[in-house]
Amino acid sequence: MANEKEKGSSANILDWLASLKLTLFVFFSLAAASTIGTLLPQGAELEESGFSPGTISLIQSLGLNNLYHSSWFRMLLMLLCVNLLVCTIDRLPKTIKLLRRQEDQFDSNKLSKFGTSAVMATRMSAEEVRPLVQNAVAETFGQLKDLGSSARFCGVLEKGRWSRLMVYGVHASVILVVLGALLGSIVGYKGFMNIPEGEASDEVELTVGAHNHLTLPFQVKCDKFEVSFYDTGAPKEFKSDLTIIDNGKEVVKQPIVVNDPLSYNGVTFYQSSYGATLKHVELEIKDSNSGKTEKVTTSLQQTVSIPGTDDQIRISEFQDNLMGFGPALGVVISKPAKPANGSWVLAQKPDFHGNKILNYQIKVKNISKANYTGLQVSRDPGVWVVYMGFTLMLLGIMLTFYSSHNKVWACIEPNENGNRTIVAVAGRSSRNAPAFNDKFDELRDRLNSVLKAEPIKLEQTKPEKAKAEKARPEKAKAEKTKPGKTKEEKKKK
Amino acid sequence: MTSSLLLSITTFIYLLCTVLYVAAVVFRYRPLLFAGTMTALGGFIIQTAGIILRWKESYDMGYGHAPLSNMYESLVFGAWSIIAIYLVFEWRSRQRALGFVPAGMAFIAMAYASFATGMDAKIQPLVPALKSNWLIAHVITCFLGYAAFAVSFGLSMLYLLRKDVKDNPGHGALAFLPNARQLDSINYQMIVFGFLWLSVGIITGSVWANSAWGTYWSWDPKETWSLITWFIYAALLHARTMKGWQGPRVAWLSMIGFACVLFTYFGVNYLLSGLHSYGR
Ligand code: HEM
Repeated sequence: MANEKEKGSSANILDWLASLKLTLFVFFSLAAASTIGTLLPQGAELEESGFSPGTISLIQSLGLNNLYHSSWFRMLLMLLCVNLLVCTIDRLPKTIKLLRRQEDQFDSNKLSKFGTSAVMATRMSAEEVRPLVQNAVAETFGQLKDLGSSARFCGVLEKGRWSRLMVYGVHASVILVVLGALLGSIVGYKGFMNIPEGEASDEVELTVGAHNHLTLPFQVKCDKFEVSFYDTGAPKEFKSDLTIIDNGKEVVKQPIVVNDPLSYNGVTFYQSSYGATLKHVELEIKDSNSGKTEKVTTSLQQTVSIPGTDDQIRISEFQDNLMGFGPALGVVISKPAKPANGSWVLAQKPDFHGNKILNYQIKVKNISKANYTGLQVSRDPGVWVVYMGFTLMLLGIMLTFYSSHNKVWACIEPNENGNRTIVAVAGRSSRNAPAFNDKFDELRDRLNSVLKAEPIKLEQTKPEKAKAEKARPEKAKAEKTKPGKTKEEKKKK
Repeated sequence: MTSSLLLSITTFIYLLCTVLYVAAVVFRYRPLLFAGTMTALGGFIIQTAGIILRWKESYDMGYGHAPLSNMYESLVFGAWSIIAIYLVFEWRSRQRALGFVPAGMAFIAMAYASFATGMDAKIQPLVPALKSNWLIAHVITCFLGYAAFAVSFGLSMLYLLRKDVKDNPGHGALAFLPNARQLDSINYQMIVFGFLWLSVGIITGSVWANSAWGTYWSWDPKETWSLITWFIYAALLHARTMKGWQGPRVAWLSMIGFACVLFTYFGVNYLLSGLHSYGR
């Protein structure tokens, strides 16, 4: 008993995992979650967002500030994949079996029950009728295959079976893209490096995780960096001449611009930004207590003592153009056993009040700058898997939507009293029913004329109606507008 | 002759075209439909000429780029895509009575591009990030998708109005339109077409981002919103194929989907920030 129950519940879970209900749930959940992610500040923006501390900690605890990388968002993506896999395992064998199935015998009565069918009677004999029917079908759809029945002629024509498998290609592509992304996130990395003109570096600052460095097994040298501008003043192009130095040898020399990166050993360097950095600077420091003036030469992040004192000076930051005031230095002065004091010192405005820190008046005498190029660095071996997924997805979607599995059946048999020959044709298409029905109408018209057919009343007259609608769409006869399921869909359920 | 003159003319032709199509339905007078088609075709040809001329003008100015680079240009291209898709649809299906939907949308897009405050119709140089052939592939494919969804949005609204109206001619303008079942089927074809092109659009954008920044997906708001849109339509397709959702539910979903398209397009530019806010 217990065993059976267990089996039941695990089957239930599998059913649920394979269900389209879950698919819709996941689609809508992903859409909703993604929406939240675009509305709430992500990453570092959160601290500057002006939310109250309580709200911020709530957002953080739900992972909403790093939503797309949060574990629950990843779970949703995984759920989509599991759903897809279980559904495929469930359905693919059935689809294949269905496609392999041999055609059963049929008669005109069975064919007449199809949604798309036509039945007619003619005075010609079955032997006369047969080539006519085969020709008519050949001219509209293709060659009928004789099923070799003795009592009557049964022929069937089938095209595009493979079309039914294309949707599995689309689904496989989704899995490929996810796998590729996973691969990239496990073995790849992303980061950036700023290289001053004329210098070489192998240090990459990684984007994920603060203060995360990575040392490349080779060096990248920026020989030259250039910006060009349109006459409107908008930037036209950023260009860096890069050299890769591997084992002390210059192995690659290549200029890069935005949209045209350089790749070496699986690592790609993208032009992404640029800026100016400080090479060295000469400062004049006037001590307002003693009235003495001293000169120091220093560079970024270097701590030097102010001559004749125990005080130290350090340039902690450099901005090429601080809020439109030109070059500015972030200067920090520290006295022994006291907290440090800092301020922005404007190079071109010696009288700016900020240029005074504690008892020192600071003047920038001489500044020498270097341009640096900002490179985005990425290594992503998963990208090819993702691209394969993309290709498969597009091919798959195209073929799923714009190919179809079509089948046409024809049956020729004498009627009960033997004075007429009954011809029945039926068709079914997995997709794009209107186009298929048009062709089917053509076939019926053709048959009607070559067989000089007399229509016979059977309960199914749908195709007639479809035809009337097509000829005069706007004036189509009143009919139930309530859309019902087509036969095809009912069968699938 | 300048491109902006041609594009202004186009705006008014699309207005005329909308009026003709609406009049045809209201008065149930078939020749007006034909006039509508001819006007749409005329407008389309003039607009095509205008777009090509604008392309050439940008080369004359020394910028040299396809006219797909800012809000103005993309709206113009959006109107063009809607009319292009509709004309092909009309030619293949011989359904004319729906023409007022795309014509009206194309007119609104053109009018908005021409008259909205803050819309810059000048030809501007391309910032380095946009200098790529992927720009053309990406924008064209996205807009084919958006345009199909726009038409589908109109069809969905019509469907909801039409579904309770009997077919017989005594029932006014709505009965002149294709019946609800036909609308549903046409709508589905539009959505399928849109879904295909939206997929191509997202993928080309992603490949482009990878070639420019080394990341094919960075959850930038515009990317994310296009993905949201894609999920909505994917849900619609699955629900329709497998759960037999048809009619009203599909119509509503399609309208929600198009709301997402609009947000992807306008909302992200104006309300959110990111790589794509070129439209400001
Ligand atoms: C992002 C993910 C997915 C994409 C892009 C996708 C795409 C598609 C497309 C384009 C179709 C054809 C729709 C139509 O005929 O109108 C389809 C059908 C289908 N999908 Fe998906 N799908 C996805 C996820 C899923 C998942 C998670 C399931 C899980 C159950 C699923 C199950 C199905 C089924 C059962 C069909 C019908 C197949 C048939 O006609 O035999 N799909 N899908």
